[in-house]
Amino acid sequence: MSKKRSYCDGMSRRNLLQVGLGASAAGALGLSSAQAADPGAAETGAVVARDDVSLIILFLQGGLSTIDTLDLKPNAPSEFRGEFDPIDTVVPGMQVCEYLPGVAKVADRFSLLRNFTHHDSGHGPADHFMLTGYAPRAGFNGSLKPNNHYPSHGSVISKKLGPRGSVPPYVCLPKMHRSGGAAYLGASHAPFEVEADPNAPDFAVPDLTPPLGINSNRFDARRELMKTVDRYKEQAEVSANSGTRALTTFQKKAFDLISSPAARIAFDINSESEETRKEYGRNSLGQSCLMARRLVEAGVRCVTIDHTNWDTHYNNFNVLKNDLLPHLDAGLPMLLRDLEQRGMLDTTMVCVMGEFGRTPRVNKYAGRDHWGPSNTILMAGGGVQGGRVIGATNARGERPESDPVGPADLSATIFHSLGINGDDEFHTPEGRPVKIVNDGRVLTELL
Amino acid sequence: MRTTRKCCQRIAGCFAAGTLLFTVGNVQAQLDVHPTKVVLGGPDSRWQLLVSHDEAGLSFDSTRTAEYWSANVDVASVSPDGIVRGISDGETLIRISADGKTHAVPVTVMGAAAKRSVHFENDVLPVLSRFGCNSSGCHGKAEGQNGFKLSIFGFNPAADLAALTQEGRGRRTNRTVPDNSLLLLKASGGMPHGGGIRVRRNSGEYRILHDWILAGANAGYPDAPKLASILVTPQDSRMAMEATRQLQVTARFSDGREIDVTHLAKFQSNSEPLATVDAYGLVTASDSPGEAAIMASYLGQVDVFRAIVPQPQPENGLDFPQEPVLNFIDELVDAKLRKLNIHPVGLCSDADFLRRVYLDIIGTLPTAAAAREFLEDVSAGKRSKLVASLLTRKEYADFQALKWSDVLRVDRLALGHKHAYVYYRWVRDAFARNRPFDDVAREIITATGPLAQNPAGNIFKVAKKPGEVAATVSQVFMGIRIECAQCHHHPFDQWSQRDYYGMEAFFTQVNFKSTPAGQVLIPNKISTTKHPRTGEVVHAHALLQDEPAETPEGDRRRVFADWLTAEDNRWFARNIVNRVWAQLTGRGIVTPVDDFRVTNPPTNPELLDALAKSFVESGFDLHELIRTITSSRTYQLVTTPSEMNERDEQNYSRALFKRLDAEVRFDMICQVTGVSEKFKGVPGGSRAIELWDSQVPHYFLSLFGRPVRSTACECERATQPSVAQVLHVLNSPRIQEKLSSEAGLLATLEASISDDEELVEEIYLMFYSRFPTTKEQVSVSRYLAKADNRRKAVEDVAWSLMNTVEFLFNH
Repeated sequence: MSKKRSYCDGMSRRNLLQVGLGASAAGALGLSSAQAADPGAAETGAVVARDDVSLIILFLQGGLSTIDTLDLKPNAPSEFRGEFDPIDTVVPGMQVCEYLPGVAKVADRFSLLRNFTHHDSGHGPADHFMLTGYAPRAGFNGSLKPNNHYPSHGSVISKKLGPRGSVPPYVCLPKMHRSGGAAYLGASHAPFEVEADPNAPDFAVPDLTPPLGINSNRFDARRELMKTVDRYKEQAEVSANSGTRALTTFQKKAFDLISSPAARIAFDINSESEETRKEYGRNSLGQSCLMARRLVEAGVRCVTIDHTNWDTHYNNFNVLKNDLLPHLDAGLPMLLRDLEQRGMLDTTMVCVMGEFGRTPRVNKYAGRDHWGPSNTILMAGGGVQGGRVIGATNARGERPESDPVGPADLSATIFHSLGINGDDEFHTPEGRPVKIVNDGRVLTELL
Repeated sequence: MRTTRKCCQRIAGCFAAGTLLFTVGNVQAQLDVHPTKVVLGGPDSRWQLLVSHDEAGLSFDSTRTAEYWSANVDVASVSPDGIVRGISDGETLIRISADGKTHAVPVTVMGAAAKRSVHFENDVLPVLSRFGCNSSGCHGKAEGQNGFKLSIFGFNPAADLAALTQEGRGRRTNRTVPDNSLLLLKASGGMPHGGGIRVRRNSGEYRILHDWILAGANAGYPDAPKLASILVTPQDSRMAMEATRQLQVTARFSDGREIDVTHLAKFQSNSEPLATVDAYGLVTASDSPGEAAIMASYLGQVDVFRAIVPQPQPENGLDFPQEPVLNFIDELVDAKLRKLNIHPVGLCSDADFLRRVYLDIIGTLPTAAAAREFLEDVSAGKRSKLVASLLTRKEYADFQALKWSDVLRVDRLALGHKHAYVYYRWVRDAFARNRPFDDVAREIITATGPLAQNPAGNIFKVAKKPGEVAATVSQVFMGIRIECAQCHHHPFDQWSQRDYYGMEAFFTQVNFKSTPAGQVLIPNKISTTKHPRTGEVVHAHALLQDEPAETPEGDRRRVFADWLTAEDNRWFARNIVNRVWAQLTGRGIVTPVDDFRVTNPPTNPELLDALAKSFVESGFDLHELIRTITSSRTYQLVTTPSEMNERDEQNYSRALFKRLDAEVRFDMICQVTGVSEKFKGVPGGSRAIELWDSQVPHYFLSLFGRPVRSTACECERATQPSVAQVLHVLNSPRIQEKLSSEAGLLATLEASISDDEELVEEIYLMFYSRFPTTKEQVSVSRYLAKADNRRKAVEDVAWSLMNTVEFLFNH
């Protein structure tokens, strides 16, 4: 297999709208900065082996209404445009929803993929499509946990890159999404589930520290005792059996994790100042964003935040305005600014997405229903340039006007940025080779 | 040991360096050359020579290190790797020198200048397959790649021919200037190609594609000979550790013609830890003893090379140990071990045996009382008495029902609560009554009537389509995976689409009717199965059976059930004994247990045959099978490896550590703490192995890889550990609650046994089913004596025991 991937169409002449003061000189000349910097790399989409980029996926489960937030259609008939007005962002020409003023202020840090689309408008399959890059096969049962036919992005990252330090490579906050599993990559690459809301006053990661009442002296005493009662511990048996070898490896990792200051500090959200916590927003979404930053800082490679309740079939506008958008508008901009201030934005890719957009036509309950064909994705950091709007939907926000991209392209872009070759294959238990990326194109127009 | 291995490497290294003089002792090695003569027909013909010699019971390959000369380079040339190529008609000799010996092979070349007539299916498709053009990652996938779609692995030559000659605005093949064909430009790097350069411009493969286009890019003679079979040479070889072996692949056509297709075949090892193979058919043995099967495939035909890698004999030459042969199993296992020079270890202790059979047969830990009773029992034959008593226990049915409900797919989400429950009860009852297993299989396959009275019919509810039933039944009862052949010829096996649809046709009559009495299964649907590609009717016929001229009358499932459960069926009994063997020993003779393939042979075929024969003779009696296996010495070995088997996990030279199922492990924790769990939807006090629904919400069970039963694959049960699992047993407050429960066993014992030594002994019997050693007794008693709080110290001891390999595995 050749290591390089080339694309016949090279750098796209796609609907790349380069706007804004933040545009580089090359941008002013009508070139993307990626093309200007290294035309060869842009043309081949070559994978650069690197080890320093992490990923945060903010998954807005239920389906973010992108037509009301990131891709407004003020000129559409009223049954489409909805109740919200657009506002300008710091990037001239780019507008977002009036209830996202905080997001508008950091628009130069992120780009919008408005030509994103897929064909699935059912929660389970669409979730799977977005979180793995593969549509599930026939017979998919969305209510299983995990329900993965294909491994999630985090599991692939865990398998290909392994842990960095003593913290796990892939963490799910506050719980694992049903499609966040490892499928055929096996339990060793399943996410580390936090299973607790970082916003809860008594937040603690279950099982990471000894239970209440077992202080560190007693835990150490137990560990010492354990050495004397484990007759196989130092025996040839353990090393001569693959099963026990694996267990002892993982036991060592677990003890490392328990005793690792890095992990303990990373999960200790209380060590943040009250002010910072407030700025992120004292809610599940905001505190999960803060926790994600802490985890990435400690060495976690992929954090997936599963934030629910975006399925606004009823009363869409009030729910968004009063409940959901204020949380997003606090947590997301703060996350981007915080990463930037810490010099981590260039090495941390942030991807905000729901499983689909919502029907452009408002329904009779003042809500919007499921809509895969248009679903704007917000991308930042980790090599993604800020201030760009890629593509556009049609006048009523129903589908991309041209050059559609989809989940496989998103996966290709994510893995490319993390230095993983999307052409590499895994084998299912049946021996079927499956590529990491299902024929996706690296969206060089973002990079 | 170490020095021995090094020594062997050094010997292998001598060959690798091509040293001309090599003698061992006084015996000069005999040079083996394959074939004894080479006949090359047609243009661009070639043959891979194989050069080797036997020494000390091993075969050493020198194909790549030998020196070759052609006596007449105008007739035939020979490459340094031993590939003979025809140049012009005539006869000559290839002289070979290796390891100080020489040899000559006569070569006849005929028709070298004849005009090449390229046949699309026989000549072009192999090239497209060899370079992966039609693989699932490239143009072979369902939607093709960048508009160019080939059938996967070339199973549909007509469509591929059309794709190359008619689609793509005809640019893919340019008959006037073949070099300008898109096919050749893309494949050879003349134009950007997502898949990179695949075929070099001056290669023989390039010339085949070129000549085919030049000649008109046609299908070729319709009556051209068809590929009949392929043959790998050698068929097996005893190799030294870390030695290499070149394979050669001959394709035989229906007209008897044979050609060398080594360069076009694809190779794959069934056990990478034992031997690997490269794209050119060079096998490399690892540093572990054992046997690996290397598959070669070419145009849907497969053949296997078996690499047998014995353990080297150490200098202080231990003899094969004289251990008792308790039944036929030991004889056959020993025979294989002798072949590999791997030595078995001795018998395990009573304590190990006790814990092992409890966990293997009833998925339950012995209680302290049961352990004490067995260990103190001095009567003869107490081991077999114990097994007999376990087979009558309620937990036997619970545990077997749990395992079989996985593969028979007792899936509440698919079936609904009521149906899933009666289906489970039916499965459990089959084991509680120890029904002959052929009856069980037959009842499932032929289930008819109201589902309430015939719960076995639920399998047709959970596997809804006839093809899915055929695939499920094949995998569960024969260990054969045919689903690949639904869409294309199975890439690693002999199954064609015709085989798949022949199997599907047995199940197309199944029909469900809703009545006031519930769902009724009536096999009355009239349907004809057609081959999806050719549209021809496929009559119901089982694997490797001749297709009848007409579809059988009546319920065809009965025909299938008769065939499946016949005494001479080559898979049914073998598959069932293999599953039971794997459950008891930790490793199937065929592994994975549900993947019987020509290219994944059993590690000990004689043992598999003998077990199957004994199972058939017993009337498919599972109890008898379990009694037979557990009474063998092989089952009762210790886990301690010796120098002569430490790298063997394949041949039953010692007992393996077995990972425990999530449910078993959880029950063990409940049992040793004396605090049971209340699961949702089942009566209080139910144990995890009694759960009929694999979706009962439970953190521990999901974390430890309970299957979701969405397929019939044994692989759904996770076998890999994770950090989260380990952390859970170490730190979970839920487990700590059990340890410290006032009403729990540990609190009760601490209060009732004041003597530390007695208490330690009791705890050891509870957790490990054995008495503590003196050293353990001293150190643990000391821990208790030192503690300020004895209760807490007891919890600490229990916690420590719970997190050891000894507790977490069956051994």
